[in-house]
Amino acid sequence: MPLDMELEAVLRPIQYPMPPYPPKVITLANGKKMVVRQAVREDVPAILKSVHPCLFIERDYYDIVSARLYGELLAWFRYRVKSEFCLIGQVDGYLVGIVNSRMENEKVGMSYHTLAIDRGLRIGSHLFAAKMEYHLEYLKQDEVLIVAESPIGFRRWMIEYPLEKTTIPHELGGGDSYRLTREIYFNAKPRLVVGDRPVPPELLAEAEAEIKFADDDTIRERISGLKGR
Amino acid sequence: MRDVAIIGVGMIPFGRRDEDSLMDMLAYASLKALDDAGLGDKKVSAVYVGNMGAGIIQHQTSIASALVDRLSLLPAAADVIENGPASGASAIKNGLLAVASGYYDTVLVVGGEKMREITGWRATDFVATMTHPTVEYPYGITLPGMGGMFTRLYMEKYGVTREHLLAVTLKNQEMGALNPYAHVEMTLDREGIYDSPHAVVNNPLAADPLHLYDLCPVSDGAAAVVLCPLDMAKKLSKTPVLIAGFGQATDTHTLQERDDPTDLKAVTLAAQQAFEMAKLKPADIDVAELHDAFTILEIAESEHVGFFKKGEGGKAAAAGKTRLGGQIPINVSGGLKARGHPVGATGVAQVVDIVWQLRHELPENRQVKNAKTGFTINFGGFGNNIVSFVLKRVEP
Amino acid sequence: MKNEISITAYQCKKCGRIHYPFHNRCLDCLNREFDEIKPRGKARLLTYTVIYNLPWGFDQRFLIIGVAEFENKIKAMGQIKAASADGLKLGMKMRPSWEPVRVQAGEDVFGLKFEPID
Repeated sequence: MPLDMELEAVLRPIQYPMPPYPPKVITLANGKKMVVRQAVREDVPAILKSVHPCLFIERDYYDIVSARLYGELLAWFRYRVKSEFCLIGQVDGYLVGIVNSRMENEKVGMSYHTLAIDRGLRIGSHLFAAKMEYHLEYLKQDEVLIVAESPIGFRRWMIEYPLEKTTIPHELGGGDSYRLTREIYFNAKPRLVVGDRPVPPELLAEAEAEIKFADDDTIRERISGLKGR
Repeated sequence: MRDVAIIGVGMIPFGRRDEDSLMDMLAYASLKALDDAGLGDKKVSAVYVGNMGAGIIQHQTSIASALVDRLSLLPAAADVIENGPASGASAIKNGLLAVASGYYDTVLVVGGEKMREITGWRATDFVATMTHPTVEYPYGITLPGMGGMFTRLYMEKYGVTREHLLAVTLKNQEMGALNPYAHVEMTLDREGIYDSPHAVVNNPLAADPLHLYDLCPVSDGAAAVVLCPLDMAKKLSKTPVLIAGFGQATDTHTLQERDDPTDLKAVTLAAQQAFEMAKLKPADIDVAELHDAFTILEIAESEHVGFFKKGEGGKAAAAGKTRLGGQIPINVSGGLKARGHPVGATGVAQVVDIVWQLRHELPENRQVKNAKTGFTINFGGFGNNIVSFVLKRVEP
Repeated sequence: MKNEISITAYQCKKCGRIHYPFHNRCLDCLNREFDEIKPRGKARLLTYTVIYNLPWGFDQRFLIIGVAEFENKIKAMGQIKAASADGLKLGMKMRPSWEPVRVQAGEDVFGLKFEPID
């Protein structure tokens, strides 16, 4: 059935204008180069293919995180959420991690999810840091509200930054938000936020040409522990 | 005393094994070793289980009794040996003495630990229970923390550098990537963990001056060996391996009470005892598994047991002398660094890896050519309880 | 008094070796009689580390822990009061204090802290 564009105009929220996130490249512990770049709406179907196998992995709350991420990305793709953005990490073109987030308003960011598809390489840390970098340095926001849904997330964000506890509810409906302020971010930046710009053109071209994704079994194996046995 | 040989070994891949209970893992490794020994349904006289944490982590005690029941080895004698991270080697030592004494003929020794069913915070706390309960533990000290304090002193006294530690990390990860039993089958890259400015995130400080990749992972796993008298072993097995020597020594509970905290006296003593009993010297050893829970330990142990002079171990590692094909290949398995460190399993796993070396059963890229003698160090506490073995190939 | 350094070390009556913690027999001469001694004066930093992966019960990002030697030769572990390890040096003088070092079952546990003296 064709979309009723008149009704769509009512249902679709206004999109905040967001300056683009400039891509960067990070050398990982195994020497591979990870390109971190902003996904465009048209990338969503390809990204969802990598999220899908994670829906059935209970380990480390991958099921909850990926189910929510799946819904959030779909909502963005189909214009049901305002001011969402998504950054992705790619190694040799392959999708290795996804982060998404939203502008609650001009000043406040609402962090959604961090999903690392390859593990043991601190991909989640790098991508979460890129997400915070976007909120504070490019969107010029004052603070980001964050919750953790897994113990690993709690250690990586709440303790390593360390974030400030608040009683502000978070959009995800769980525990109260923790807050990343500009001061905390810039203090943590030297030890947590890295990456080189500009990305060498051939690397960027490879990443943008195609979002490659491993087959479901490979993704499940990668996530289930460092090796998964 | 009778000579004692190993006639069967078994190991299950280390890592995160959410689907298996501790008892599952102990049973799988045991059956592999029993099958490898070709014992069929023959009786085992006694079972020794090396384990540190079932009482704390699994809230289960008397696991040796549970295991013999699970394996239908009744009415075999069964004991749990708890000696911290040296539980595995301690269990082998006890099995060895039981056979050597003439009391038991066939003994199964299995070491296992399941540490990944609790969070990292709890696992760190569990391991820290081996520190002194009133003068260390309350401060929040951890075993990596003890390693950090030791490393600082060792660097100061012997000129060990981060480059030296890095050489151990890279070597052990490279070898672990070839080992199907290793927890972390991943090579690391010098640029990614050291040279690049991005290394600050990839390889952050964990226990200053030790970094993340100086530390072994927290793992689940189990390994087992079957022991019997040498004369019986020669009839039962084509490739028995003789336990030619063993040693065990202890040191003060706290690091602060050692006259020189960089001197791992118990390591030196345990190794000396093992070499003396085997009538061998460090230079006679073809392959060694040392307890590299932290990279500094591989270096310090390689000096304390006599492979290198004090202050030379780090340089030797950086010069490739401890690689496969080098002067003394150390941790060809990937060591604790890559194979992982399920605390109760480690001491047994080290022996299993050496047995495979001495039977010449490993693929070419991991086999020390014509290896005839092997050596292990299993390090308990922070150097306060050390068990060492010298193993010898028995020529058919 | 809460702030007094509540540590007792044990000096062998025969050979003089100082023990902390308690041992039933002297580590050197096996003698079983000791004089109880209290730490005296400032302390000297012997070694330290900064631990980033802390056990359950510690919520901070890192903890600096070291071993220091008092003027009367008692050696003890303690937490180090410093914003970072940047200013720490082996051998530096430390001011000891007796303060809460962790919370267990809702109660403060007291222990040694050392603060660098500039």
